[in-house]
Amino acid sequence: MADLSDLNRRDFIKVGSAGIAGLIVAKALPRSAAAATTSAPVYPVMDIGPLSALAPGGAIQFNYPDEESPAILIRLTEPGLNGAGPKQSLVAFSQLCTHKGCPLDYNAERKLLICPCHWSTFDPAKAGAIVIGQASQPLPQVTLKIEDDLIQAIGVDGLIYGRHTNIV
Amino acid sequence: MTLVPLPPIDAKRFNTVCQFCIVGCGYKVYKWPVGRDGSTKAAGNALGVDYTGQLPADAEWIAPSMHSVVKDSDGSSHNVVIVPDKACTVNDGIASVRGGGLAQTLYSEERATKARLTHPLLHDGDKQAPVSWDEAVDLGARVIKAVIDRWGPDAVGMKFFDHGGGGGGFENNWAVGRFFFTGIGTTSASIHNRPAYNSEVHAAGDAGVGTLNNAYIDAQLADTILIVGANPYETQSNYFLNHMVPNLRGESLPYKKDSFGEEPVNSGRMIIIDPRRTMTVSAAEAAAGKENVLHLQIEPGTDIAVVNTIARIVLERRWHDVAFIADRTEWQTFESYQRSALGAERPLAEMIAETARIAGISAKQIQQAAEWIAKPKPGGTRRRTLMHYEKGLIWGLKNYEGVASVIDLALLTGNIGKPGTGASRLGGHQEGYVRPPYPGGRPALNVDEKVRRGEAKVFWVGGCNPVLTTLKAETFEQSLIERGQPVREAIAATKGKPIGERVAAIVEALKQGGTFLLAQDIYSTATTKHAHLVLPAAQWGETNLTSINGERRLRLYQRFMDPPGEAIPDWKIMAKFANRMNALYLDDNDPLQANKYLDFDWKTDEDVFIHARYQFDGSAKDPMEGYAGVTYKLLEKLGNNGIQTPTRLVNGTVVGTVRMHDHGRFGTPSGRARFVKATWPWPNYAAQVERQKAKFPFWVNNGRVNHIWQTQYHHQYIPFYRDHNPIPALEMHADDAANLGISSGDIVELSNDEGSVEAMAYITDAVKKGHTFMLFGQPRGSVGDLLSDHVDPETTIPYYKGAWAAIRRVGPQPESTKQLSFLPRNIAE
Repeated sequence: MADLSDLNRRDFIKVGSAGIAGLIVAKALPRSAAAATTSAPVYPVMDIGPLSALAPGGAIQFNYPDEESPAILIRLTEPGLNGAGPKQSLVAFSQLCTHKGCPLDYNAERKLLICPCHWSTFDPAKAGAIVIGQASQPLPQVTLKIEDDLIQAIGVDGLIYGRHTNIV
Repeated sequence: MTLVPLPPIDAKRFNTVCQFCIVGCGYKVYKWPVGRDGSTKAAGNALGVDYTGQLPADAEWIAPSMHSVVKDSDGSSHNVVIVPDKACTVNDGIASVRGGGLAQTLYSEERATKARLTHPLLHDGDKQAPVSWDEAVDLGARVIKAVIDRWGPDAVGMKFFDHGGGGGGFENNWAVGRFFFTGIGTTSASIHNRPAYNSEVHAAGDAGVGTLNNAYIDAQLADTILIVGANPYETQSNYFLNHMVPNLRGESLPYKKDSFGEEPVNSGRMIIIDPRRTMTVSAAEAAAGKENVLHLQIEPGTDIAVVNTIARIVLERRWHDVAFIADRTEWQTFESYQRSALGAERPLAEMIAETARIAGISAKQIQQAAEWIAKPKPGGTRRRTLMHYEKGLIWGLKNYEGVASVIDLALLTGNIGKPGTGASRLGGHQEGYVRPPYPGGRPALNVDEKVRRGEAKVFWVGGCNPVLTTLKAETFEQSLIERGQPVREAIAATKGKPIGERVAAIVEALKQGGTFLLAQDIYSTATTKHAHLVLPAAQWGETNLTSINGERRLRLYQRFMDPPGEAIPDWKIMAKFANRMNALYLDDNDPLQANKYLDFDWKTDEDVFIHARYQFDGSAKDPMEGYAGVTYKLLEKLGNNGIQTPTRLVNGTVVGTVRMHDHGRFGTPSGRARFVKATWPWPNYAAQVERQKAKFPFWVNNGRVNHIWQTQYHHQYIPFYRDHNPIPALEMHADDAANLGISSGDIVELSNDEGSVEAMAYITDAVKKGHTFMLFGQPRGSVGDLLSDHVDPETTIPYYKGAWAAIRRVGPQPESTKQLSFLPRNIAE
């Protein structure tokens, strides 16, 4: 009965009010996309943005591994499981809920990623573990690399909602 | 990276319904040989979905959790994918967190589910070792016969499932009932979690009201939904998300307008009576706006007082449904209801003030609840209120009066049998009850006490785990161990001896106070490990079964794989024992006894289904489960939407019932509903409970949570679920935790005079100061260890929610649980 089409038409990312201040939208495009020569997925290396522009508690929205796959980079105020960068505080995830694929909101005050459709919630500091809700998979975590001041996405751990393979 | 194989076009297709909660969401099963996968193109896979790119939201995505590889008994390997069914009106393609992992519950040599019981086991004094079915059945039947012959049928005790869904269903329930009631004729029966054989909703039955009387669609049509003692976001998830939430969001308004014409309609409101600020409260507020949600955060056991006071306000404001009461109820019962439950001879203000005080809520909230439930809409139309209750009431202070208070409020306001109304359980497990009548009386015999005293010479436990879930559980387990010991010794001493000698030795042990324990299950459990005979049962998906959900939707859950090893369906186990009992009595030249075990010659699961069906005649006298005229073939045709029971036969056609009591009659001889007893303002705590409450500072509320089904019997073998609750979480208020030096993640011990149990602290604003909440039947720690043996004397139903204990910090969070999140589990926005 729940009609998701309205929700799909909403702005692609809706961040809880507490998170807006920290939000930057990444404008970077993939720098290189290595040709797939084996069956193993080969992920593009993509610049997300400068570390210096991201304050603790802040977030950057980007698309990875391609334009159709929204993702979010969060600089936690504490170390994150599988985190990168200063004090392992940098974590990034697919932004599509693993329940039914609605884009998640980031609430910086509550430190939660929340789905506005059926309210599955995920903990970015615990590798995208589900806190409560109807999703039966944790959030796929984007692997990050820090080059000087530049944060890059280099891979994804876990299957992104709506995909048969992460690289399509 | 995980790659989920896609079902090819020619994959075998099956319909099934989730094996877990009452909601019974529809799922589709695809099965095909490993290596013969479909392609990502829409024309190349069985779902007809284009998987070449990114799917939109709400699509038929196959999550890795929805896939498993299984082996058939011929050794062939098959992929199995289980996805939510978009065509099922219950869930419309949405999975719950439990249903999304159904594939992972399947037996697989590559997964931890390989822990399944695969062969009958006999405790040889040293360990449980595999034996043949013939050997197990012969020994078990001979011991049972010897016990009946010496001590009578009531010396055979049993505790069995009586539900629908996985492990239960009409087939298995019928076979169990036939064996124990028609065959043995024992009154020493009890139902899975509880000490006796009894309804949990006697009050609804006495009122003549079906316990699941509404349709799920009513949650989309109601003006107000009242939830008492339940947490549907977590434990009836897709009923809440797919039917209640659209109403709260105003998405079902067009449907209301279509249904009700000129009657004023608005987005739905919700009233939640619960001591905790649950995820249901937050989600309802997110959907409806805070102004349309009323949460009455009560003190333990005071729900009866709150509901009765709401009813009194309704009466005082003349908002009751005079026509309904006059035409549809027994007048005399309304008279006594006004005097007893509604305290009509006392001033209203006094009643409201007293209730507000004991319940810890404001008088204004109580008034507001009454308005939302019954104040007529503009133009004077009656408000449509759907009332739901579950374990908070059923396992609350006083079972009978808790349920009575809600049923009576629904009768008072005419909210039964009309679109947008109802007064139903929200439900725990699914239903599928069909048995010959239980030969015992009411209040039912407390079988747990009988087992403790050694009066049950045989105790047969099927599909339940009393060591984790019963009352005063530590001493119950101790009695199973102590009374089992002489029997184990007798078996060990007669190794290799003729069967007659072995049975004689066992009977000697029983004379000395021993108990012979049979346990029938799909996994080894805290209870089966004490058994002398362990009987391996088939599970959901390994046998055809039928059940109804919370709106009485009857469907066929198709078999799609073989059971592991020698496991067989419960109905077959019962038939094996019955046939052996029959033969033993014939050998004994006792045809009278032998004939009690006739008609167990079922060849298929449908044979059992049809045999049980003759309990129903398709008339208005059938109970809510009645499925007269229904066949597997019809259910196959109807798929995952099935048919809503009770069914009627109209000119040879099977007709279902969308909503019960919509054509006049209630289930009483007069056909009129009865107001049932609900003391005003509340019964207060029983003396035994009061003593515990006075002595120990923390209330240990307890129940189920979103991720975990019952005792975790499956989920402890699936990392995603197990790791979410590795140790039972104990929700605590921040001030209480600070006073005791406890942080989230710390291991704590709860203790009282009944026993002690460990848990993991979880600090939250969901509970009030002095209140805690613990997962109820976790293998690592069960609340049953803290419960006194007090039961409601009128119903033999325990006050499972009524434990009080002291709490102390034992140690820090175990390193192995560092992946756990302690962020709040009740945030929705």
